[in-house]
Amino acid sequence: MSLVQDLRAVLGDDRVLEEPVELYLYSRDASLMQGQATCVAFPHTTAEVAAVVRVAEAHGVPIIPRGAGTGLAAGAIPIDGGIVLSTTSMNQIELDVENRTAWVGAGVINLDLTKEAEPYGLSFAPDPSSQSACTIGGNVANNSGGAHCLAEGATTSHVLGLEVVLAGGEVLVLGGQAPDMPGLDLKGLIVGSEGTLGVVTRALVRLLPIEADVRTLLLDFEELSAATRTVSDVIAAGLVPAALEIMDQKMTTAVENWLRAGLPCDCAAILLAEVVGEPEAVEAEAALVSRIGMQNGARNVQVARDEEERAMLWKGRKSAFGAVAQVSPNYYLHDTVVPRSRLVETMEEVQAIADRHGLDVYNVFHAGDGNLHPLMAFDASDPVMLEKVHRAGEEMVAACLARGGALSGEHGIGLEKRDMMRDDFTDIDLDAQARLKEAFDPSGLFNPAKVLPEGSRCFDFGGVRREIPDGAWV
Amino acid sequence: MTEAAGGGPRLQQKVAPPDVNALVSVLREASASRSVVQVVGGGTRQGYGSPPPFDIALHMTGFSGIEEWDPDDLTVTVGAGTPVADLEAELSGRSQTAVLPEVPGASTVGGVISAGVSSLRRARLLGTRERMLEVRLVTGDGRVVRGGGRVVKNVSGYDLPRLVVGAFGSLGVITSMCLKLWPKPAAAATVAIGDAETAARVRRPLAVLEHDGATDVFLWGTPEEVFSSAARLGGEMREGLHWPADPDGRYRWSLRLPPASTSEGVSRLPATWSHLAIHGAGEIRAASDAPDGAEDLRGWAEGMGGSLVVVEAPRGGINGMDPWGRPPPGLEIQGRLIAHFDPARVINPGRLPGGL
Repeated sequence: MSLVQDLRAVLGDDRVLEEPVELYLYSRDASLMQGQATCVAFPHTTAEVAAVVRVAEAHGVPIIPRGAGTGLAAGAIPIDGGIVLSTTSMNQIELDVENRTAWVGAGVINLDLTKEAEPYGLSFAPDPSSQSACTIGGNVANNSGGAHCLAEGATTSHVLGLEVVLAGGEVLVLGGQAPDMPGLDLKGLIVGSEGTLGVVTRALVRLLPIEADVRTLLLDFEELSAATRTVSDVIAAGLVPAALEIMDQKMTTAVENWLRAGLPCDCAAILLAEVVGEPEAVEAEAALVSRIGMQNGARNVQVARDEEERAMLWKGRKSAFGAVAQVSPNYYLHDTVVPRSRLVETMEEVQAIADRHGLDVYNVFHAGDGNLHPLMAFDASDPVMLEKVHRAGEEMVAACLARGGALSGEHGIGLEKRDMMRDDFTDIDLDAQARLKEAFDPSGLFNPAKVLPEGSRCFDFGGVRREIPDGAWV
Repeated sequence: MTEAAGGGPRLQQKVAPPDVNALVSVLREASASRSVVQVVGGGTRQGYGSPPPFDIALHMTGFSGIEEWDPDDLTVTVGAGTPVADLEAELSGRSQTAVLPEVPGASTVGGVISAGVSSLRRARLLGTRERMLEVRLVTGDGRVVRGGGRVVKNVSGYDLPRLVVGAFGSLGVITSMCLKLWPKPAAAATVAIGDAETAARVRRPLAVLEHDGATDVFLWGTPEEVFSSAARLGGEMREGLHWPADPDGRYRWSLRLPPASTSEGVSRLPATWSHLAIHGAGEIRAASDAPDGAEDLRGWAEGMGGSLVVVEAPRGGINGMDPWGRPPPGLEIQGRLIAHFDPARVINPGRLPGGL
């Protein structure tokens, strides 16, 4: 039987798609790349995922796990065919209020989890800008962050357990509510592995008590360096606010033109700071952030007076990418990290690179984490422009690496940055990474060609030489 | 001298390589001759797990000290052999902490990471795994490997830094790591309360610890926050954080439970056991002079999805009781991972669950 017939025998006719238009849609994500899927499968249960894995193995066809497709690094793109396995139908949530945890289906949308937990006074901390669309499975795959991971950590800090389908259709439940499961932390290795080790079907996540009070402050500065200095000084004062986000003038203007949120457009940078905790703590911490901002030359400190104003400030921040879509048909967004002490010089270099290529660059970033998101607006129908954007992007990443930074802070490596992994890691480092992959997925079934560059698995000293099986991705 | 597997005496050699190149040589030679290597940091947890008879005691004193620390970045890169107490004292000078164990004794940074030991502040600031940003290690066959990076947020490749926590060197001997730091706020206090339930009056305390019949809430933050929280709790307040030491005895245990079962775990400890319970984290450290009652306690803990682990026991073990208890799922994959990093299996072989 054909691949599609075998899959339909497992899932039924209507849960396997193969029409050209459907395949086209499921061969894309939020990156600029286009792949080619063989078919799309929609399992509802873990047992069905295991069955799909066995069918894929029998046919020698890879599996590309997919959540909402909001990834920006082309991590969900099928290369030269494969089964796109959509997890969106696995959307159950089981709360355990006493232990402040929940077992969550991979297809549950991030914001839906927080809404489900809210009546119990609990919330899920990771909040990517795409949280109204992206899924928990995608968050786990990419170890997603968000504005609020400064104080609480990224997704990996909130995943206590995973149910995962591995090669051979084996189902494992890793980790759990109790801490420090003896043995190697396989669960921690699967988080952030971008679907290359297996298919995550459910995650046991940590929920946090909703804070008693919150203050959101907007500070504006005539110099970007004054805004970043404020961030450093706040942390040096012993405070880790829930969020510290900066937007430059260009980005602020784009957002303001679109949303009319009342943002000041005549300053070099705005800093959005949020402090949470008990009411008296929040009062004192907000005062401290204001004072430090003023000492660094903030022109104004605006404190959101109510939930509506606060929501508007955050809408401004989280709509930044949407706002640029009003200005230009396409944008290319990079995600890199530098040590926080090198933010200002890195921003200057990013601007210089954009100028050199004649490109518009908009900046919005998680300043507390040193996590940059330079965004280039352009028209992708112009191939010369596209080439320029790619080249400038590569130079920006290189500028970050040269300052002791990292390739990606929260979007992942995917296909987009896998060849740049050689700029950050030695051949021996990459070989070690490829061995981690091989231990889980010796035949290269899961999301091939992602994360690691071709030929990473190349070193073998000392021990017994191992033959790489035919068809393995190396 | 210890007994070799065959029963005869085993000649042990002590080495302390001064640098990475020397360490590479030690491990390559050990792999070639199939000599068993025991890695020694501060020597405080040599009995943890199932330590095998060994040929080479590898001391990490050559990898000591801070390599890189810019307080603005909230990261520090430190040699594996650096004593935890020295690192925390240095960081304290600029009001920062690596959130490592508070009463570390002679423990080294590499040691607490390899053994997966966490801070008493873990319910609020999470465990040692969450500190790891970058790791450098030498594999059993002598490859020098780096994973992660020296920034607070990084998703470049697989999370090797997290995987080495609690791995007892099975992926390689750690030489240095970059840790995420936390700033110390202006005020801190320790408040004695009647029972753990009272702690719920504070939403997110730094720690709630129950030990020797007493319960203390640890607070930090702005002075306003600390003093108002202390007033709400109503107990006797001392300024500063007064951390208790881990309980000590011939047998030392780690009981791990779903957080909401911590109080029940304390009530189920045999009456003669001393304990230190970390509320909100589900970890209870305990000590006893005899192992009586441990089997029943383990049975209950495993039924709850937790574990009872033997951290230290007199030589000869505990009447055939496995130090780890029920083996975790995924042992086959764990074995394959380890084989990729230590193919001759010379670093602490058999020390992990399932004889890995």
